[in-house]
Amino acid sequence: MPAPIIKVEDLSKTFLSKERKKGAGRKKKPVHALKAVNLDVKDGEVFGLLGPNGAGKTTLIKILTTLLLPTSGTAWVNGYNITKEEDEVRASIGCMLMGDRGLYWKLTGRENLDYFGALYHVPKADRTKKIEELIALLKLGDFIDRTVETYSSGQRMIVAFAKSLVNDAPILFLDEPTVTMDVPTARELRRIVREMNDAGKTILYTTHLMHEAEELCDRVAIIDHGEIIALGTPEELKQSLGHEDVVSLEGIFPESTVVRLRAVPGIREVAVTAGDSGRSKLDVMVENSRAMLPRIIEAVTGNGATIEQIKPKEITLEDVFVAKTGRTLAVDTRVVGEKAVSGRGG
Amino acid sequence: MAAETVSKGFGLGRPGSRGSLGVIWSVFRARIKIITRYKGAVLLESIIPVVFAGLPILLGSAVAGSEQAAAANFFSYTGTTCPSALPSDCATLFRLYMLMGSNTFMIVSLMLWLIGYWVRREQETGTLEALYLAPAKRLYILAGVTSYTLVRSLLAFVTATVLGSIVFQVNPLSGLFGAAIAYLVLGIPALWGISFFFGALVMRIKEANSVIQLLQWVLAFAMGVYFPVTVFPLLLRWTAMAFPPTLMNDAIRSTLLGITSIYGPWYVVLGLMLMAAWTVPLLGYQFFGLVERRVRRDQGVGQF
Repeated sequence: MPAPIIKVEDLSKTFLSKERKKGAGRKKKPVHALKAVNLDVKDGEVFGLLGPNGAGKTTLIKILTTLLLPTSGTAWVNGYNITKEEDEVRASIGCMLMGDRGLYWKLTGRENLDYFGALYHVPKADRTKKIEELIALLKLGDFIDRTVETYSSGQRMIVAFAKSLVNDAPILFLDEPTVTMDVPTARELRRIVREMNDAGKTILYTTHLMHEAEELCDRVAIIDHGEIIALGTPEELKQSLGHEDVVSLEGIFPESTVVRLRAVPGIREVAVTAGDSGRSKLDVMVENSRAMLPRIIEAVTGNGATIEQIKPKEITLEDVFVAKTGRTLAVDTRVVGEKAVSGRGG
Repeated sequence: MAAETVSKGFGLGRPGSRGSLGVIWSVFRARIKIITRYKGAVLLESIIPVVFAGLPILLGSAVAGSEQAAAANFFSYTGTTCPSALPSDCATLFRLYMLMGSNTFMIVSLMLWLIGYWVRREQETGTLEALYLAPAKRLYILAGVTSYTLVRSLLAFVTATVLGSIVFQVNPLSGLFGAAIAYLVLGIPALWGISFFFGALVMRIKEANSVIQLLQWVLAFAMGVYFPVTVFPLLLRWTAMAFPPTLMNDAIRSTLLGITSIYGPWYVVLGLMLMAAWTVPLLGYQFFGLVERRVRRDQGVGQF
């Protein structure tokens, strides 16, 4: 079994959230963004972090990349401690954490890559060679010598991705790298990520897109409210739902529909995704969809709902998340205006 | 525990001096490239001190009745002695005094803007987070930025002096111009130190404009842009004199105009400047480090 290249031990982070209530002034409330997280990422794997906004993914990544100090616990990246050997950790990683941010708009793409290469102490000759390789690999030739301010959002994203590769680090942290890319570019990027992985790089990948996680990740951790609630290969996670089926219903559903459905014996979980014009989608998890279908229809229609479509669905990682939390990944659990509670990091 | 994890890659976390110099050079070069892509920025900022010097000259003339009377009033009120007996020479020195005060203020102001606003701009564009993700030491990145501010400030100072000399018909080379420039260069490390304090505040409170606006006018007042701080009441005078930009301003002006420094003989001025050049940047850098650690503990440097 390969040794872990990233090891997380009891990592916690607590922020203080400022609440402004009318007449009550400002109150500070602790928000536990990470709760004693333990995690191993094996050398050479693509490891996916899944979870809704505010689940703690970004906090975890920021701590692992040394941008944020933990309140308690620690971690090692490439064998280096994240609080005691920060520069070594930084030299071991390539990051794309802020989408297309993090580039100098008045510099060309090439100048940006050269600049960041220098900050990673890549020698000039190696840097020049590496940049040429990246231009060829990511097909940047048409625009790399224009200033970044003239780029489209997709072009900025791909240069930001190139920036994460310029130091040829053994570990890549990619936080939603395809978020503003068009479909073909995103597909191409995933292909390159796979290629990088084949070449031996370990990749920590966060995404909201289940198909991305399923396509790319060797293992996936589902994180919610600062805790790892599931961890395994995509197949293992899906199989963890046992013999459950998912029935997907689309239409117009009154609010009480979910409560009615959950009260039906045999229904394990119900997830709602809001759509346009009052329409929504219900994913109903059951043990036996054929046997349960009449009871589902009865519960829904008896409540004045309009069903427009009903179909069985293959279990996805999203269903695993729903089964574990009772919510969809689209639900935002972020707390706004947070400030960390002092920890030993200071 | 660390031994349980594997270690791969360059191991470039601790580069040699060549790598560190490479970081300073890259940061410096990038900043220069960026500013040269804003057409006319350096020239435009060089015009500001000329305008600022014109205001007290015209106001003095208006109040005293003539420029020579304004110069005579100025030298007698401020306790500085005009080294020439000719009223027209004193009027020229009065203009040069104002021009040099404005120029030095521009340098101080530029330092605050260039470093304080650099932190803020990097925070807003996400590049500050990108800098913190790199293994390059903060010291070398700041050294690159400060080298750039030095070059840009000197460029602006020389341009403003040339422009001001033409507009106000003064000859800056009449005094010890080389020594004045040496005092300017020697005064800049202390300004870097103040800028580090300021940059740290900007990083923490995530706002640059109002802080810079306030601070630069407090600075202008305290450093005696248009007058020697000897006109202040005792407590305020000592406070102002303890402030490095006041020392730098006074050193430049007294050298160039051949008037007595408010700090005493030249070797006292030089000693104080050397001390400020050594201690203030160290204190500023320490403060920057403290705030940076606090920010990393609280929200992370990328939060803007």
